[in-house]
Amino acid sequence: MAMNKNSNAYIIIYTVVMVVIVATLLTFAATSLKERQDANAENEKKMAVMTALGKQGESFDETITPALLIDGVLTPQSDAKVVLDKLADLKTMASAENDLPLFKYEREGETLYVVPVAGKGLWGDIWGYVALQADGDTIAGVVFDHKGETPGLGAEIATAEHQKHYVGKKIYDAENRLVAVTLRKGGARQDNIEHEVDAITGGTKTSDGVSAMLQSGLSKYDGFLRSLAMQTADDTELNDPIAEPMSDDAAAEAGTEANVEPQNIEE
Amino acid sequence: MKISTNITGPLGSNNPVIVQILGICSALAVTVKLEPAVVMGLSVIFVTAFANLVMSLLRNGVPSRIRIIVQLVVIATLVILVDQVLRAYVYDVSKQLSVYVGLIITNCIVMGRVEAYALGHKPWESFLDGVGNGLGYAMILVIVAFFRELFGSGTLFGVDVLTRFGYTNNSLMLFPPMALIIVGCIIWVHRSLNKDLQEK
Repeated sequence: MAMNKNSNAYIIIYTVVMVVIVATLLTFAATSLKERQDANAENEKKMAVMTALGKQGESFDETITPALLIDGVLTPQSDAKVVLDKLADLKTMASAENDLPLFKYEREGETLYVVPVAGKGLWGDIWGYVALQADGDTIAGVVFDHKGETPGLGAEIATAEHQKHYVGKKIYDAENRLVAVTLRKGGARQDNIEHEVDAITGGTKTSDGVSAMLQSGLSKYDGFLRSLAMQTADDTELNDPIAEPMSDDAAAEAGTEANVEPQNIEE
Repeated sequence: MKISTNITGPLGSNNPVIVQILGICSALAVTVKLEPAVVMGLSVIFVTAFANLVMSLLRNGVPSRIRIIVQLVVIATLVILVDQVLRAYVYDVSKQLSVYVGLIITNCIVMGRVEAYALGHKPWESFLDGVGNGLGYAMILVIVAFFRELFGSGTLFGVDVLTRFGYTNNSLMLFPPMALIIVGCIIWVHRSLNKDLQEK
């Protein structure tokens, strides 16, 4: 008995059976591989944090305390996944919003903080991690990545060659305003060298995106970073009351309430 | 026609990329470095081979009115499987290949071989035909990637080759137009060696 292979009934049954088989197969594949894929994605973020710190050789799990800023207070989380999952929503988090993700690095008396940032480049999303010294001001390293910036131009932000220029830059200016780091077209100006790096030739829009991302990204953490500055200023005073060369800044910061412009600008 | 020509044909006088000019789009996109080019090549070999095999097995039962849809479903399923496996086992490479793995679905070579060959031939022959055409595609990808990585980054498989001799990377090689020019050169060489392919 030959079936009519072009009858509607045959086609419908054929399609239904095919779709069910394919759906089952794909569901099975997706669920059985999901664990590995998630682990890969998580591991990539951990590696990025270590790269920002310049500590690629060290283990994330041993040195990093993943934390959330709950009501402005650094709250360590035992499960790194909770913090890493937050990164996906970072771009939409308003500055006042609670639970900002943050990573604290501690080893042999050295403390560093890694602040994740996210923004927009020319073609799509860009994101990165900024590692800050314990003073919450000096950049210890950065790492950026992008979804689809132009290779050779905007995509240069993801190279170590570009990222090394950020090391040692300050994100607060002499008047204690959060200025982050600006990518200056035509080259960083010498009189503002602490807060500028060279923009990427031919990648102006991406460079502007990075500047905007750093400014808006870091300002979400402004309150916390200022509290760090105060802590380190206090520590310096306690440890060594007469040490003051660098504490012009630090003192100004220490004397200032978080989020309030400093009063002592008269000189 | 001997079955062995199913494999050798696409490597030479019947190459899908440089003779039939199919699959050019991804050949431009994933040939900046050798590693992603090799992985892409292997993925396409897998997809063409098994799409041909499956469609050849189904060829007597497929209603001809929805033939193309069935082909698409089979190809898409295989491509999704490849994508999932790459993401689980070679995460870095799958990130570099990004959307191009998914775009294997639209690679004309796959559907072309299913439609032109697998629907009219036995499973084993179809499978070999798929392997052959995938190999033909992969071969061109690897040749293009070899030149682009060597002169664009001075490396091969990420290992420094040229820069130690003071070579300055030519970043023009990293842009897609350069891949087109290299493919053009390969076609040129290939045609001058195969007189019967030359148009009068």
